[in-house]
Amino acid sequence: MANGQIALTLLMGVLLVAVAAFLTRIEDWRSYTPLAGGGGGTAEESGYAHEEKPGGLIRWLTTVDHKDIGMLYGTYALATFTIGGLMVMIMRAELLDPAATLIESTTYNGLLTSHGITMLFLFGTPIIAAFSNYFIPLIIGADDMAFPRINAIAFWLLPPGALLIWAGFFVPGLAPAQVGWTMYAPLSVGVGAGTQSGAGVDLMLLGLHLTGVSATMGAINFIATIFTERAEDCTWANLDIFSWTILTQSGLILFAFPLLGSALVMLLLDRNFGTTFFAVEGGSPILWQHLFWFFGHPEVYILFLPPAGLISLILPKFSGRKLFGFKFVVYSTLAIGVLSFGVWAHHMFTTGIDPRIRGSFMAVSLAIAIPSAVKVFNWITTMWNGRVRLTAPMLFSIGTISNFIIGGITGVFLAAIPVDLVLHDTYYVVGHFHYIVMGVLGFMTFAGLYYWFPIFTGRMYQRTLAKWHFWLTFVGTQLTFFAMLLLGYLGMPRRYATYDFPIGPVDPVTALHQVATLGAFLIAIGFVIHVWNFVQSWSEGPILEDEDPWNLKEIGQYTREWEWHHRRMETAIADGGDEEVATDGGKESNEEELTTDGGENVSETDCSD
Amino acid sequence: MGVADDTEDHGGHHLPAVEDWPQGFGEASWWPFVSAAGGAGIYVGAALFIMTSGGSDLVPQIAGPAVIVGSIGLFLVGLYGWLYHAFVSAFWSGGTDEHGSRTLRFAMLLFLGTEVSTFGAGFIYYFFIRAGAWPPAELPPLVSSLVLANTALLVLSSVTLHYAHVGLRKGNRGRFLGLLAATLVLGAVFIGGQVFEYYEFIVHEGFTLTDGIFASAFFGLTGLHGLHVTLGAVLLGIVFVRSLFGQYSAERHTSVSTVSMYWHFVDVVWIFLVVVLYVGAVIGGAA
Repeated sequence: MANGQIALTLLMGVLLVAVAAFLTRIEDWRSYTPLAGGGGGTAEESGYAHEEKPGGLIRWLTTVDHKDIGMLYGTYALATFTIGGLMVMIMRAELLDPAATLIESTTYNGLLTSHGITMLFLFGTPIIAAFSNYFIPLIIGADDMAFPRINAIAFWLLPPGALLIWAGFFVPGLAPAQVGWTMYAPLSVGVGAGTQSGAGVDLMLLGLHLTGVSATMGAINFIATIFTERAEDCTWANLDIFSWTILTQSGLILFAFPLLGSALVMLLLDRNFGTTFFAVEGGSPILWQHLFWFFGHPEVYILFLPPAGLISLILPKFSGRKLFGFKFVVYSTLAIGVLSFGVWAHHMFTTGIDPRIRGSFMAVSLAIAIPSAVKVFNWITTMWNGRVRLTAPMLFSIGTISNFIIGGITGVFLAAIPVDLVLHDTYYVVGHFHYIVMGVLGFMTFAGLYYWFPIFTGRMYQRTLAKWHFWLTFVGTQLTFFAMLLLGYLGMPRRYATYDFPIGPVDPVTALHQVATLGAFLIAIGFVIHVWNFVQSWSEGPILEDEDPWNLKEIGQYTREWEWHHRRMETAIADGGDEEVATDGGKESNEEELTTDGGENVSETDCSD
Repeated sequence: MGVADDTEDHGGHHLPAVEDWPQGFGEASWWPFVSAAGGAGIYVGAALFIMTSGGSDLVPQIAGPAVIVGSIGLFLVGLYGWLYHAFVSAFWSGGTDEHGSRTLRFAMLLFLGTEVSTFGAGFIYYFFIRAGAWPPAELPPLVSSLVLANTALLVLSSVTLHYAHVGLRKGNRGRFLGLLAATLVLGAVFIGGQVFEYYEFIVHEGFTLTDGIFASAFFGLTGLHGLHVTLGAVLLGIVFVRSLFGQYSAERHTSVSTVSMYWHFVDVVWIFLVVVLYVGAVIGGAA
């Protein structure tokens, strides 16, 4: 039996290698087409860039170009978003009725754990890295990231991390981890019956550690890039808002993820080598909660601040006004970054920790509402009296603001100890944080993808489909997560596969769960439309002749990444309009040359808009 | 194959990576991918090891250790190629300029920031148990002449490394090489001392990893620190070999600087560790 499986594994391996070899031979796989003779004159002068990018799959495996790596991150994140989304669709289908009808409760627990970890670690951080990789160097006028190769290795650690995390589902003999994304001890140490002591949990912990290493490398790279690689006219005074949020986020990653990494290793040692880090007689399960949430709460802002930066970046473009109170948006970002390390114990109000500690954490948690509100008011004021254009990215940005208001205010309630004691571990909490992670991070992912679609592809997406996508997502989000808030008020506990309890208001709970499931399916339909729109427009959408598809020039907000986009189009046209060159970028040094030739005055625009 | 044709003469081979420091454009490199495959392989090997120890017969017992060893090899090959092409091969012609040097030193500083968090989790565990009933069990003889000698050695190695660097900056190559060698020897002796201490504790005192709540803190923290010293010694070794081949000068010494920063940091962690974990466990404990 074991031999047969080894043979099968080997066969699969050979097959995979064959497929990979085949893929490398597909020539037009977004291959790099070298610029024709006259265009690449400056390339030899630099002395370094004398090699072209290779073609085919090899190009993607060996690339160190920040834009390519951004594309890789984006593809990866959308794939994981799809997988995490499918997991939750099964869960929502199961919750249509009170009893366990569709899947076993153990399967539900496994899906629940993997959904959380997939969305936070495998989708959230990577999708932000996708945007920041592609655009931060362009916006701050850098040639590339400070460390292009560390950028590449940081990405390539992610796919094996994902496979380890999901290994419990597809490796024979393993069960998926059922410990929840918070991995609370003593359950995660392997105490008790069930599969918690199985190797599926260990593999997930290893995979998480690997993705944490990747995120930390990325953070070091971004901080170094923003500090040292800015163009001369890009100073701290006019640094743009997106770079500020990425800088703050990377600072949070720098201290949060390594601590999680050590805690994960300690958990692995506890599980496999008999240490006592999180044992009751040792460091105690509460120590795990402290360490986990010291990472976990900054993680919330790691996932929130860059999308907030995207709102601050996109909103003014379609309001015809500059961002209101720019400085205060930056200050609020920094304030949230600092405060986020002082609020972790508000996740632990019900654990019986010292009431004096609880009180201080409640105060800081409430205080963090202030910089958050500063952001919201500045966004609203930006739109006030503006010439608002309801394009798809703008719709998603406005939708995000409304989601953030609901998600934020429910958070203020949860930060208050007396309210939290009632609502802790109910669906209210689930609704609250999904309004942030789906309602802000998810929405701004879509906003960013639409806003920069012309830069990614040189084409335009289908506007009608994009609006369908928005309205389905927005209505679906409200149905799903507002229903969850109400479920929380009814006392529906989190993490349960069934709600066929002998007591309690089963009928309204059932109805609300059905509403939530309906909303989830609306979101799913919207996402399918989005993927179709994206793929179809990428290959067949109308090629943009206009370098300014959003009419940013007339409001004076034609920013650096669009200038770069313009230069690239000019390069392509000068070269005979080779479409592939238009998508691929060509030689940076060459474009700089053309800019001066083309009379574009780069120095007039700073990097702050 | 889709690789763009290679007009340069590399003996008919396409170099896996070109000299691309600082950032060229349109370059490509296999090394990040190779290193990532090796690095991830170590995790996969660990996963296989845990699976087979847990009774899974999906793969043979040897698979885990074999994958780990193979992956470490692949990882080192990747790093070797990476460093060689980026920094070593064209050290004098295409090496790091002042800007790149500043960026690298800054990145090392950021990395040391992450190390604070990495060590932080272990220390927090220790503070958690130290705040409880103490001593939790009979402690092994922690503060011994061995620890004091080892501490002195490590502090001395920081001093020798610093003056090696100063020697380099003043153009005194002999002193640089000599003191760098001395640092390396001191580091190696320190690691030897740590191994000896483990040996004493495990074999003679019967104090092992599973020996209660202090053992977790002791072996966790000293083990983590030992790994760091070992990595530091490897880095010092690389610098030493490169300097034997004539690299580095008063103006070009970036990796000497970054490795020094790392070594001094590990030294500081050790002093903190001796104070709180060795001395701190004994003092006030008996009362």
